[in-house]
Amino acid sequence: MTSPSALARRAAPMFACIGLLAVWQVASLALKNDSFPTAIEAIRAIPDILGDKESLINILASLRRMAIGFGIAVLVSIPLGLLMGRSRAVAAFFNPLLMVIYPVPKAALMPIIMLWLGVGDITKTLVIFLGVSLPVIYHSFEGAKAVEEKMLWSGAAMGLSPLQRLVRIVLPAALPEILTGCRTGLVLALITMITSEMIARQSGAGNILFNALDMGQYDTVYAMIIIVGAMGICLDAVFERVRARLVRWSEPQFDMPLSFS
Amino acid sequence: MKVVPSRSSEWVRPVTSQKPASAIIEIDRVSQVFQTSARKDHLALSNISLTIEEGAFVSILGPSGCGKSTLLYIVGGFVNPTSGAAKMKGQAITGPGPDRGPVFQEFALFPWKTVLGNVMYGPRQQGVRVAEAEAQSRALIEMVGLKGYESFYPKELSGGMKQRVALARTLAYHPEVLLMDEPFGALDAHTRTRLQNDLLNIWERDRKTVLFVTHSVDEAVFLSDKVVMMSKSPGRIREVIDIDLPRPRRRNELLLDPRYQKYVVDIERMFDEVDETGSVS
Ligand SMILES: Nc1ncnc2c1ncn2[C@@H]1O[C@H](COP(=O)(O)OP(=O)(O)OP(=O)(O)O)[C@@H](O)[C@H]1O
Ligand SMILES: [Mg+2]
Repeated sequence: MTSPSALARRAAPMFACIGLLAVWQVASLALKNDSFPTAIEAIRAIPDILGDKESLINILASLRRMAIGFGIAVLVSIPLGLLMGRSRAVAAFFNPLLMVIYPVPKAALMPIIMLWLGVGDITKTLVIFLGVSLPVIYHSFEGAKAVEEKMLWSGAAMGLSPLQRLVRIVLPAALPEILTGCRTGLVLALITMITSEMIARQSGAGNILFNALDMGQYDTVYAMIIIVGAMGICLDAVFERVRARLVRWSEPQFDMPLSFS
Repeated sequence: MKVVPSRSSEWVRPVTSQKPASAIIEIDRVSQVFQTSARKDHLALSNISLTIEEGAFVSILGPSGCGKSTLLYIVGGFVNPTSGAAKMKGQAITGPGPDRGPVFQEFALFPWKTVLGNVMYGPRQQGVRVAEAEAQSRALIEMVGLKGYESFYPKELSGGMKQRVALARTLAYHPEVLLMDEPFGALDAHTRTRLQNDLLNIWERDRKTVLFVTHSVDEAVFLSDKVVMMSKSPGRIREVIDIDLPRPRRRNELLLDPRYQKYVVDIERMFDEVDETGSVS
C-alpha cells in the first residue's frame, strides 16, 4: 500500500491540481486581463463566499436538490433497469421511450418543465432526476442482462422465488455495473444541477456564479468554479471509496485508480 | 444382474402405470427441439425414456452435443421439454426445486459470497438458523477439503476448488437427487481422481440418487450402478449398461479387476461406434 510507486500514484492527482493552478497563475499574470483573475485572487475569494450566510444557504439548497434528484433517480432506475434486463416484455415496453429521451439534452427540456411546474425546486430536481436516470438504467440493464443463467438456476433450485432471485442474485451480481452507472450519474447530477440553476435563476450555486458574472466580480466567478469543481471531485472520491468497498469481491476492472480516493 | 451389457430395448421402455416401486425419476418419451439461428429446428433429444431408481448412481455418457446437459436440465426443471414429460416421485416436474440439486459444468458460484456464504446460502433459504447452517456448512467445507478457505471469495479459488465449493453448496441443502454436469471435466487428472474418490465416499455414506453426466468412460464405470450410453444427431439412448461391481469400490482394487477392465473396454468400443455412426434410426 505504501510502496514509493503507490505513494506516487496517490499523490499524482494532487500534483496535477497544483500544476493546473500554476499554469493558470502564470497565464493570468502574462495576459493582465481584468476578466481573468490570477489563481491566488480566485482562491482568496473562496472564504468570502463560504463565510457569507446567503451564499452558503444557496449552495446547500443546490446540494439538497442534487441529493434528492440523485436519490430518487437511483431508487427508480435500478429496479427498472434490472427488470428490463431480465424481462423481454419490460424491455420491449420501455426501450422505445428511453431511446427517444436518451439523446435529448435534459436541460433543453427545462423551458417546458418550467411552464408546467414553475421555476422552483420541483423543476430543478426533476431535471437532475432525468439526467441521472438514463445512465443508471442503462448500466443496470446491461448488468442484469449479463447475469449468468446457471447462477439464477442455482438460486431457483434452492427455492428462491422470481422476485427473490431479482433482489438477491441479479442485484448483487450486477452491482459492479450498476455502481459504474451511478458514478456517471453522480457527475451528471452535478452538471444538471448547475445548468438548471443557470436557466431558472433564483437560487443555488449556479445562480451565485452568474450573478457575479453579471456584476463583473470575476474573482467570485472563478472562485465558484473552483468550489463547484471541488464538490464534484470530493463527491466522486467518496463514492469511489464506497463503490470499491461494495464490490471488493469482483475482478478489478482498472489497474489505475480513476479517482482521487 | 447382468455383467454383459444389455440391449437397450430391455431397459428403454415407455413408462407404464405399473412403475417399479423404487423409481424416483421417470423420463417419459422426452423430445427437445431447439430453434437455431438459421431458423431451422434442431432435434437435440429424441424420444428419451429412462427410469432412475432411488439411491442409484446413474451416469450419462455420450459424445459432445448429444444432449446430455439438456436432459439434465429437463430433470432439473430448468428447461421444459418440447414433448414428453419427466416425473419426480410420480409428480410431473414443472420447475426447479430443492429436491433436485444441480452442480453445473460452469460452477455458477455466487461471486459476491465467500466460500462459507455460498455453502450456507441454500440452508439459510430453507430456513435453517444461522448458527446451525454455519456449523453444517463448515463441516461440509471440511469434508470437501477446503478447511481454511471459508472466507475466500470465488475469484480467489482455483478451478478444482470452485468445483468443490459448488458440490458442497448443493449438498448443503440436502437434495434427494444430485444432478451433476461434467463436474470434474475441467480438472487435472490428479484432482479429478481425488474428487471422484471423495464423491464416492459421500455417496456410499448417504446413498443419494445421482444423475451424473460425463464423457469419461472410466469415470462412469468407476462411479456408477448404471451407465446410459447416448448417441447424437438426434440425441438418443443407445444402450443402458448395468455396472455389476461390488461396493464399496476402492480405486486400487478396481483398476486391477478384470470385470472393471472389461466394462471399460466394452463401453469404449461402444462409444467409438456411437461417435462414428451417430444415431441409428
Ligand atoms: N439453448 C439452446 N438453443 C439452441 N440449441 C441448443 C441450446 N442448448 C443446446 N442446444 C443444442 O442441443 C444439442 C445438445 O446440447 P447439450 O448442451 O445438451 O449437449 P451435451 O451433450 O451436454 O454436450 P457437451 O458434452 O459438449 O456438454 C447441441 O447440438 C446444442 O447445439
Ligand atoms: Mg454439456
